[in-house]
Amino acid sequence: MTAIPLTPSEAAEPAFTGRSAWRLFWERFKEDRAALFAAAIIALLVFIAIAGGPIAQRVTGHSNTTAYTQTMEDAFGIPKGPNSQFWFGADGAGRDLFVRTMYGARTSLEVGVVASGIAVLIGLVVGLVAGYFRGWADTVLSRFADVMLAIPQLLIAIGIVAACSTTKTGCLHGLIQPGLGIVIGVIAFFSWSIIARIVRGFTLSIRERDFVEAARSLGASNTRIIFREILPNLIGPIIVYTTLLIPQSILFEAALSYLGLGVPPDTASWGGLLNQAAQYYDVAWWLMLFPGLFLVITVLAFNLLGDGLRDALDVRADR
Amino acid sequence: MLLYIARRLVWTIVVILVVVLITFVVFFKLPNGDPALRFAGRSPTPESLALIRHRLHLDKPFYIEFGYFAKNFFLGDQNGWPGLGYSYEGSVPVMQEIKQRAPRTLCLIAGAATLWLVFGLAIGVLSAVKRRTIVDRLAMGFALFGISAPVFWLGLMALYIFWKTLHLTGGSGYVAFSQNPGAWFSHLILPWSVLALLYIAIYARLTRGSLLETLGEDYIRTARAKGLSERRVIFRHGLRASLTPIVTQFGLDVALLVGGAVITESVFNLQGLGWLAINSFLTQDLPTVLGVVLLGAAAVAIMNLLVDIAYAFLDPRVRYA
Amino acid sequence: MNRPLRRLALAGAVVLIGAAILVAAGSAGQAKNQIARGGTLNVGWEQSFGFTDNFDPTGEYLGDAFGIMDNLLVRTLVGYNHTPGADGNKIVPDIASSWKISNGGKTYTFHLKSGIKFGPPVNRAVTSKDFVTAFERLAKPADGAEYAFYYSVIKGFDEYGKGKAKTIAGISTPNDSTIVFNLKAPAGDFLYRVSMPATGPQPAEVTKCFEGKAGQYGRDLVSTAGYMIAGMDKVDISSCSALKPASGFDGQTVMDLVRNPNYDQSTDPTRKNYPDEVKFTVDASADDIYNKIEAGQLDLATSSIPPQVLRKYATNSSLKSHFFQNSGDRTWYITMNLTQPPFDDVHVRRAMNWIMDKAALVQGWGGPTIGAVANHIVPDTLFNFKLQGFKPYKTPGDHGSVAKAKAAMKGSKYDTANNGMCSDPKCHGVLLLADTRAVDTKMLPVIEADAKKIGITFTVRTINGAYPTIQTPSKNIPIAERPGWGKDFADPVTFFSPLFDGRTIIPKGNTNYSLVGITPAQCKKLGVTGDCSPYDAKTGLGVPSVDAQLDKCEALVNTEASDARTVCYEGLDRYLSTQVVPWVPYLWSYVTRITSNNVTHYQFDQFSTTPAYSQIAVK
Repeated sequence: MTAIPLTPSEAAEPAFTGRSAWRLFWERFKEDRAALFAAAIIALLVFIAIAGGPIAQRVTGHSNTTAYTQTMEDAFGIPKGPNSQFWFGADGAGRDLFVRTMYGARTSLEVGVVASGIAVLIGLVVGLVAGYFRGWADTVLSRFADVMLAIPQLLIAIGIVAACSTTKTGCLHGLIQPGLGIVIGVIAFFSWSIIARIVRGFTLSIRERDFVEAARSLGASNTRIIFREILPNLIGPIIVYTTLLIPQSILFEAALSYLGLGVPPDTASWGGLLNQAAQYYDVAWWLMLFPGLFLVITVLAFNLLGDGLRDALDVRADR
Repeated sequence: MLLYIARRLVWTIVVILVVVLITFVVFFKLPNGDPALRFAGRSPTPESLALIRHRLHLDKPFYIEFGYFAKNFFLGDQNGWPGLGYSYEGSVPVMQEIKQRAPRTLCLIAGAATLWLVFGLAIGVLSAVKRRTIVDRLAMGFALFGISAPVFWLGLMALYIFWKTLHLTGGSGYVAFSQNPGAWFSHLILPWSVLALLYIAIYARLTRGSLLETLGEDYIRTARAKGLSERRVIFRHGLRASLTPIVTQFGLDVALLVGGAVITESVFNLQGLGWLAINSFLTQDLPTVLGVVLLGAAAVAIMNLLVDIAYAFLDPRVRYA
Repeated sequence: MNRPLRRLALAGAVVLIGAAILVAAGSAGQAKNQIARGGTLNVGWEQSFGFTDNFDPTGEYLGDAFGIMDNLLVRTLVGYNHTPGADGNKIVPDIASSWKISNGGKTYTFHLKSGIKFGPPVNRAVTSKDFVTAFERLAKPADGAEYAFYYSVIKGFDEYGKGKAKTIAGISTPNDSTIVFNLKAPAGDFLYRVSMPATGPQPAEVTKCFEGKAGQYGRDLVSTAGYMIAGMDKVDISSCSALKPASGFDGQTVMDLVRNPNYDQSTDPTRKNYPDEVKFTVDASADDIYNKIEAGQLDLATSSIPPQVLRKYATNSSLKSHFFQNSGDRTWYITMNLTQPPFDDVHVRRAMNWIMDKAALVQGWGGPTIGAVANHIVPDTLFNFKLQGFKPYKTPGDHGSVAKAKAAMKGSKYDTANNGMCSDPKCHGVLLLADTRAVDTKMLPVIEADAKKIGITFTVRTINGAYPTIQTPSKNIPIAERPGWGKDFADPVTFFSPLFDGRTIIPKGNTNYSLVGITPAQCKKLGVTGDCSPYDAKTGLGVPSVDAQLDKCEALVNTEASDARTVCYEGLDRYLSTQVVPWVPYLWSYVTRITSNNVTHYQFDQFSTTPAYSQIAVK
């Protein structure tokens, strides 16, 4: 509907510019310098994840998996520190720590993003159903979430990882492969119920809003309401909580690798490197410092970005 | 109201039993399979393996064993109630093992919880009051670091800096308070600080957010308009109202740590309940695993129950959900 | 000076100097003999005791427990000198003063010393019947025995165990100080078998309370040697219900041993029993333990030493006197499954032995202070160094040789390009099972890189506690780097029978990981996939068997005149290392121990490969 100009002067220039929700978000986000900085760091990390490892290998001439036992380990097997050839020193097995730290970015980001993605997907579906349809679906979800909370996470994780570790084909007829597959599966398994609870909360409040009421009174089917009215309003929270779930997943993977339960020994992982650091912490400070710093900075960047997105999208967890 | 409590109580017990059942399933389906092998020596005959399995009560399918466990638990065994049996290794009563390890975990949690409650709330309130100043930014920056730095990294760095290099604190390992209070403290100060850091960060952010939200409410504006001092407004009216989510979160966090402080316990070699659970799981010592899992699940489920009852008390709508 | 006088002077000088030397030697000897008695020896134990049967001698199989028992608590018919090296592996009298072997090696008659008593609270003399009690407990599976198979050779032992007889027919006690064993067949190592702690005398009035209850007697172990569990004198044995565990051993955190008042040192020339008290305490971490040793709060530890502590003690001249290295009589090896490709071809197995950088693997364990590079199956110490020069796969620096490996691979069915590389598709992605110890993380990259040099690539799977999986033939694990094997006693039979006898392969708990000597019928029954057909020397494929050679060696007996038995086993080691090649042995580990400043005299017990606790003196 076009505005009827009241006076010729008013018709010349618009009284206000209509802004879409995305426009609003972008304006607000642009102002948040911390969040922009975080986004830049993440972009850099993504680059490192994709190309950092191979570039490091090319530049240093050291492969990711070769143990340089004769040059970088002393007679007692203790790794040696940074020098001109090995910029970060050697890891616990005599490999180039710089190359492995670069490859570690790939592991962390891969596991973090994929595991979070799966968890959000499952959580979205379950939370939506529970929050919209209420009734027994809702009860089942709450009960399930109660049990998930009380389960000893680490023990079950050990059990699952061990159960799928000893053959070449993994378990569930090859559906879950040992290695990254299992770690992603385990993290997703323990994370989805948190997302489901959040989505349920949002769905509950959205469905009480006027426009949903209006759509229903117009005779819209449940499917239409869900896809047309509720889901679009969930996108904001989903983006925020996915971004906030990624650092949790990264830390979870690091913790599993630290305990020796995570990725296979060949694959570089910051948590795995810290596991080696624990053995040599009083004689090999570099093993503690470099992987740890990278891990902290990555997690920090995602948390910062998530915070910024939450502020810009004006998302607040409803009770 | 009573009916609601009764319903939730029954459900709590069900949750605990379900968790134990899941542990049974995972234990029996592990590929390493046969705990009897550890006690069979070299070249065990199938008969001796069968005998050992029978002695360890492993020769029946898992649901029957679960039944035995549940029966023993509720009715007690020769050691009284609850009947948790004997561990495979050393034939030590599981209750005794738990009683020996529990103080370490509880000391760890108590110290850390005190630290994080005090500092988390203080920093959160400070941040909220001085929002958007340099103090706020620094505090929130510190909080951001706190939730981003993993315990195992902080722990290692702390040990290296404060113990190996500066010799300011005790190292890894646990010393009982009764043995040597000074050493008990110096060995625990680092684990307390490292564990608390994460939660200080979480609680500072939580407090700040919650307090800011409350301070935006109308009745706060009224209180200010009435001429109350800012301090009274914040503490008397603002903080009180915003404490509810914090308290419930606190209860849950503490309960989760009972079985969940594994990494801190591992970095500092405290050998508490978390270590006991993992260690006995890896050595396939089922009775001990079950004992610790039960304890952890009970802590969480009961805390959940208390929180829900508290809410039902405060918000009548919940009761009829 | 004229000549005779000069000669006299010279002679006098010689006599004087000789006398001086004698006096000096005498006083040095005197000083050596003045090893201080008394004090408390504090031993740290890492993480947990880990006893296999909670210290009940009948079922206890942990090496560290052997060291405690045979030094401090349990005397047996025959024993050892509790010294290092070959002297410590030698059989000497303990409770038996002498013995006679007759009937073609099938009858052993032992005469017992007098004056040997049980410690508190039993307090009576040991008789031959008390040995029968021990053997009866060994025979019954419900009592938890873990090496009962050594005694099946005694007539009637298995029948008694199955409940088919009231007594063991082959053991007779004509009087209190004589015991006779009748065997089904001659066993050249029988004396070694009755040196094991499970065969030590046990008082039936106490053990009857633990009938059928494995893992309980340990806390009430009645001693016959120089020490006893603290608090045993307060234990009430008047009835089984009154019997409580002794206060000195709580099963979990501490074992406190004090002097046994009933012990007569004059009956025991081998155990010196210097300390007044020996206390074992469980401590959380190796880090903590070695800090305490440096501070003097602990004197010794049973745990392995972290590499940084090793480095400190091995390189620091002032600390070197507290650093002790002895042979562990143990081989660590990579095991290859003879039924799984590509290791079903002896060419490939030989190539693996040539290509491995064993020095790097040993370095991963901690370097030369941890052990020596292994060259064949049995550690040289067990063959008295006769096989010291036998290094069939020796390469410069023990770093492996690509050229030699490729030469060995040539002619293999998997060498499809005939260039010494394993190029058949079966050589790629071979399943390798690894454990998750720190040393595995260090060994894996080396093993993988070396195998790649001859064309073999691995799919690595790790599991915490790999042994149960490797011990299950139906899992068909082609290669594993976890295993190690130590002797039970100093006869080579303990290094061959359990490891290479095809007839004793069992579905679970199997120790012949390579499946040497397995038959196609067994393969079918046990669920082993892969080719189990017998060895074909022309192609190098198939499963060789050494069962016949094992039987031959086992039947031989070493005598004063000839050590035919040992020579036979030496030949078997050579054969296995060059013709069967089931392993890539890489390390003969030492037992390295560090002592505190309080320890004035340290000794190693070669039998148990632990510190000889009764021969260690503290200030």
